[in-house]
Amino acid sequence: MKSKFLRLLALFLTIGVVAASCGSDSDDAAPATTAAPATTAAMATTTAQVEVVADGSLLDTVQARGTLNCGVSGSAVAFSETQADGSVTGIDADFCRAVAAAVLGDAGAVNFVALTASERFTAVQTGDVDVLMRNTTWTQSRDSSVGMDFGPTTYFDGQQLMARVSDGFSASSQVSDVDGAVVCTNVGTTTEKNIAEAALLAGAEITLLGFETSDEVYETFIAGGCDITTTDGSALVGRKVKQQPADQEWVIFPATPISKEPLGPTYGQNDSAWADAVNWTVYAMIIMDEYGITSADVDAACASAEAEVGRLCGGEGELQTGMGLPADAFHQVIRQVGNYSEVYNRNLNPVGLYREGSANAGWLDGGLIYAPPAR
Amino acid sequence: MTGLDSSNVSSTTAGGQPPAATPVSKIAPPVTPKLSIWEWVKENLFSSPFNCGLTVVTTVILLAIFRGLLAFIFNPVRQWNGVATNLRLMMTRAYPEEQYVRIWVCVAVILILTSLSMAIWHAGSALSVSEVGRKLLTTGTILVLFALLAPFSTAATMLWLLVALVVLGFAEFLRRSSRGLEGQTISTLTLLVLTLSGLVASLWVIPYGHHSYIPKRDPRVLAEPGTVALSTKLPWTLMLVIAVVAYFTGRALRDRLPANATRITLIVLWLLAPPALLYLVLRDPAFDMNHVATTDLPIFAAYAIGGTALLSWLTRPSTGELGRIVSAIILLAGFCSFLTPMRMIVRIDMLALAIFALAAPTFSGGPRAQKRYVASWIGLLGVMSWLITAINTPSTVSVPGGFFIGGMSITLMVAVFTLVISFPLGIALALARTSSMPIFRLLATWFIEFVRGIPLITILIFFSIMVPLFLPRGMHLGEVAAVIIGYVLFSSAYLAENVRGGLQSITRGQQEAADAVGMTSAQKTLFIVLPQALRVSIPPLVGHCIGVFKETSLLAIIGVFDILYIGRIVIPGQTEFMGSTKENVLFVSLIYWIFAYQMSKASQRLEQRTGLGER
Repeated sequence: MKSKFLRLLALFLTIGVVAASCGSDSDDAAPATTAAPATTAAMATTTAQVEVVADGSLLDTVQARGTLNCGVSGSAVAFSETQADGSVTGIDADFCRAVAAAVLGDAGAVNFVALTASERFTAVQTGDVDVLMRNTTWTQSRDSSVGMDFGPTTYFDGQQLMARVSDGFSASSQVSDVDGAVVCTNVGTTTEKNIAEAALLAGAEITLLGFETSDEVYETFIAGGCDITTTDGSALVGRKVKQQPADQEWVIFPATPISKEPLGPTYGQNDSAWADAVNWTVYAMIIMDEYGITSADVDAACASAEAEVGRLCGGEGELQTGMGLPADAFHQVIRQVGNYSEVYNRNLNPVGLYREGSANAGWLDGGLIYAPPAR
Repeated sequence: MTGLDSSNVSSTTAGGQPPAATPVSKIAPPVTPKLSIWEWVKENLFSSPFNCGLTVVTTVILLAIFRGLLAFIFNPVRQWNGVATNLRLMMTRAYPEEQYVRIWVCVAVILILTSLSMAIWHAGSALSVSEVGRKLLTTGTILVLFALLAPFSTAATMLWLLVALVVLGFAEFLRRSSRGLEGQTISTLTLLVLTLSGLVASLWVIPYGHHSYIPKRDPRVLAEPGTVALSTKLPWTLMLVIAVVAYFTGRALRDRLPANATRITLIVLWLLAPPALLYLVLRDPAFDMNHVATTDLPIFAAYAIGGTALLSWLTRPSTGELGRIVSAIILLAGFCSFLTPMRMIVRIDMLALAIFALAAPTFSGGPRAQKRYVASWIGLLGVMSWLITAINTPSTVSVPGGFFIGGMSITLMVAVFTLVISFPLGIALALARTSSMPIFRLLATWFIEFVRGIPLITILIFFSIMVPLFLPRGMHLGEVAAVIIGYVLFSSAYLAENVRGGLQSITRGQQEAADAVGMTSAQKTLFIVLPQALRVSIPPLVGHCIGVFKETSLLAIIGVFDILYIGRIVIPGQTEFMGSTKENVLFVSLIYWIFAYQMSKASQRLEQRTGLGER
């Protein structure tokens, strides 16, 4: 018994000594590239090649990597849908493609990363995605304390309400008219908070019913379980087009939304070179739309272009090369993806959303879509 | 040989039919009097007023549920086309079309292994003709109910009634004609193949699902209807043929090859199949041959030669205590290697060698045992090096999205890897918790109690969202890998407790008897305690397997595209199929049920085969 104990003690001493001795030559600067794939090796996922560009802009990293990691929702109707064959479509997806076309010259070089609402900002911070096109509302806290920067708004959304005409509602109804109504919405979202605040301000008493998924909200609404449903206007229009039963007529109100939801590209803060590349991709698409230049005629337009269009096409000056992009970056964007109107109409018209008369019309038509001049 | 005998007997009793020719040593089972249907109904359902009431009430409730379900399914509002169209998305997510042959290769490999195993282990049982008739009678009755309760048009109801009557008539014919041929039996496997053939044939007849969107210019133009059926009918036919051919090959081999060697080979192939298929076939690694030749092969050769020399020295009975010290030093060196920069493969190999070295004295013996031990080391080293090299080479399969597979594939992958890894881990934890060494006992107890005290969803969220933030810059843990690690930790803690229950049922006498014949403690554990403990724990272990398989649906919450996430969130997010959550979730739950039910059936067979609850 005693010898066993001694042997055990000796073993522990040896362990201690060897551990101490080899602890000293531990090397914190162990090349990450050898350790990283092997860590994942145990059950490896995609072979995540680790690129560390010390102190460089994300722009250099993306160009070195050759693909753009773009964070999308993957399940937002008309914004980013995953199709039956796994491809991603939608207005958000098209803006991802546009950035890839500008930075890499190939709209197909996008790796779409589907993110839930809770993990989207972490994914940007850990570098899993380069840019977030995930219908993310630009807010003060996200811009400051969350550590994000926001690009130009690509879609001006706002929360609205939807009710049945048979209940006496019309397009000119106001929030004050919903007094005593049962309102269905998704739980734990800002929509819930917004409607409660708006009703309080308007002096209307409402009963809120929360549901986990949007589909449940509309099932209940169709079945008559609630008088009113509320969420972002874009989603309401889509639902109305697709799900309104033959025996009901739905109406969306008030004309001025009860909340502002500006949606646009989001990226990590304090990286100007990368921010410029993303922002000017969007601006170029808006400017080209103002000139009416589409993917079909951009080649001809660029061949004989003067002034602003010529500068965006890369014909004269170093506007693009100066910001680290190829000279024909925006030419490629329009050629491969299209201008703002094309992208908008392609994705949002099928769900009943049109630019005319909405906040998303161009500034010349009374909307809010505006781009600074390219010069 | 006894194993073979008992398996034969159990396979006949599995069908519920009294064995025709009982071995001499067995006592014939008691004869139950044969009742006609009406006698049975009277005896069991209407024997007393209370029983009558119970029967009527239950029948009414069941019919109402059945009717409600049918009314839901056949409501014209339902968008079942959403399910049919998105079948591919649900199974593999965005796996590229031109690489799809790889998926079929995997399916074929699994089918071949299944068929071979079925042949080697004598799966299936024989049904007498009258029994088949009785089963068809039940099917026919269900069809009649279906036709009457479903909200069909009159014409459709009539058509379904006609089908039901044909089935009923055929069943009655079988039942009546079977009187003359008592000895005639039909194998359940034949019935299975017939059913599967029917399903495959339906692909050729009914084209459904238009899966392929034209993505480029105008993303909302759908391809031809029927693409799902069109693109899968040929592969599935081929798969069926492959499975049948493999089964008959297995049957032919069964009588010619030594039973034990064949079974062990098959088990090893089953264990190798998941990583090999996933990393070599589905991922299609692009090997850098130069790197393989200059780095991987030399490392393998060094460990093979060095390990051979070391292990042959260690397995020599004369080595004695010095061997243990050397093994312990190698183990320490293996752990220390993590503190210095070097290739991961070198460290893993060193740890594996240390474990082999530590276990060597247990396997010492004649030169034959020595050779076998060294050969198993080289075999393991080869498989390990091969897999590590394959995993560390980039994939040639590029998909939009994080992981190269998704949907049902990822559900299965996470479940299989979790179970395969957590089984040995769980058993080790259970042994540690019951061991007499305080360090092991305490560590295992702490680990188990800690992990069991945390909800699974917390572990998953921790691993998917927080661990990436903790990792040093440049290090990257893929989401799927992180999730599997979390699942393994959770599952092994529960598994350990199930196994510990079994361990405690082994009486002290068994251990003393093993001691008396001079077994080492490793031999005692491996050959006496564990086999008995695991046999006792089959029911809770299978329950655990089913649980792990179903709990993979929690992946949906952290945004991994598993089948439930796709059904619940992604498909209703398509403009085309907005608001189709219910249909998709019903379909997904059907798939989960099929798998879980098969597992529970398999466990019943395993229990019968090991004689659990009988001895």
